[in-house]
Amino acid sequence: MTNWGMVFDLRRCIGCNACAIACKQENTLPSGVFFTKTLTFTSGEYPNVKKLYVPTICNHCEDPPCERVCPTGATYMRPDGIVMVEAQDCIGCGTCIVACPYDTRTILDEHHLQDGLFGQGHITPFEMQGYVRFTKGTTVKCTFCHERVDAGQDPACVATCPTEARIFGDIDDPNSAPSRLIRERNGRQPLPEKNTSPKVYYVD
Amino acid sequence: MPPLNIGFVADDFRVGYRRQQTWSWSMAAAFFCGEVGAGLFFVAEFTGLRFGLLVGLLMVAVGKASGHLLHLGRPAHAWRAIRKVRSSWISRGLLAIIIFTGSGLVVVGDAFLPGLVPPAIPAIAKAVAGMAALVIMVYQGMAMSHSPSIAFWSNGLMPVTSFTYALLGGVSLAMVLGWDTVSPARMEMLQAFALGLVLLGFVVVVSMVHAAKYGVHGGRKSVERLLSGDLRVLFLLLVLVVGFAMTGLLLVFGPDRQVFIVAAAVTELSGYFTFRILMFKAGSYDPVVGSARHARR
Repeated sequence: MTNWGMVFDLRRCIGCNACAIACKQENTLPSGVFFTKTLTFTSGEYPNVKKLYVPTICNHCEDPPCERVCPTGATYMRPDGIVMVEAQDCIGCGTCIVACPYDTRTILDEHHLQDGLFGQGHITPFEMQGYVRFTKGTTVKCTFCHERVDAGQDPACVATCPTEARIFGDIDDPNSAPSRLIRERNGRQPLPEKNTSPKVYYVD
Repeated sequence: MPPLNIGFVADDFRVGYRRQQTWSWSMAAAFFCGEVGAGLFFVAEFTGLRFGLLVGLLMVAVGKASGHLLHLGRPAHAWRAIRKVRSSWISRGLLAIIIFTGSGLVVVGDAFLPGLVPPAIPAIAKAVAGMAALVIMVYQGMAMSHSPSIAFWSNGLMPVTSFTYALLGGVSLAMVLGWDTVSPARMEMLQAFALGLVLLGFVVVVSMVHAAKYGVHGGRKSVERLLSGDLRVLFLLLVLVVGFAMTGLLLVFGPDRQVFIVAAAVTELSGYFTFRILMFKAGSYDPVVGSARHARR
């Protein structure tokens, strides 16, 4: 069985956040809601300053605490390892947000769906057609663009990345691109001390 | 482990520690009402305090439930929270609240209208309600410590603080409500118990902060905020001085005066509510920068 995962190549990421824009467009995400972000980290002191870009996303953990703590079973894992939220079952308690060490979930409040991307409460036709999929008061998160993946495509952020810093594939297949990268370049999981076994790895 | 020299960031595109903002006032109020209400009911069962049973039941069934419903994104679907008893402390808590409310109603009914039902039923209901109250006193701490995300909460002492505060709040309110009805000998026992719980609570809270201060970085960041940051005054003054020191002094120096007992309950509960709020406010998520080798240099 496929076990979807992702690798971020920190050497290649240039911090353009095209992934974040593609994700917002693909999922019609309201203002202030992001499923993926490329964070900036500056270290050192002048003149030896280094800037690092750290892409973040839901890690679709093997042992997801969000799934464990969810009191309704709204958060569940598909057989292919993608962690999903069933909006009809979600009651918006936020326990999953509190339990996720990676802070990659958001509760959709009323203002998210009413403010509009351009503010002043004006909802564009693009937003109108996209917001239909959302339920007010429920949690939303990255699904690895499951509809695209089911259709044999890469997630939107992966397809868009101009430097191919995001590599998506079956991490249980030793010959897949992410598996090879993890093996050859000593891929590391984010916050391994949290014991969630993320399926997203970083290589540098 | 992420570096300690990184600061807090708001919800922006920088690497840093992030503040927990999902659980706030309404959840704190729910936790407060649940723990104090269950504690009061539990103490009232042993002291035979009828009004304690009633107030405790109302605090849980009305106060706690209202706090949770205010917090939920979809309150009309709250009943669904009982589905995952196998793994979720929230589900287990809800089950305990339902059992507590049902059996508590029988106990309160029997206390105010004795003889309404066969005597065996209230006796069983009393035992069931007492056990459910114990679960309510502890489960919120379990729910917080169960989650690995917020280092400050992920601490074995969190359920102990919940239990201690719940029992202390229950004893404090029982002394106020039972001033005229509870026998002097039993009141003296309650006062001694309250004083012991004040000392225990102080030790447990200080130990929890101490463990976090010398633990992982996320916990240290939270302690920084509590001891020397923006939450310092509230924590030191309200939680430690008012909540424990003043309560203890009032119990020691005014055990035979009602006004002192009422004041002790007010200071204790103020300290406890502040503690609940601060636990939520001080919680922080670790930055993911620890994953990147460059960042360690």
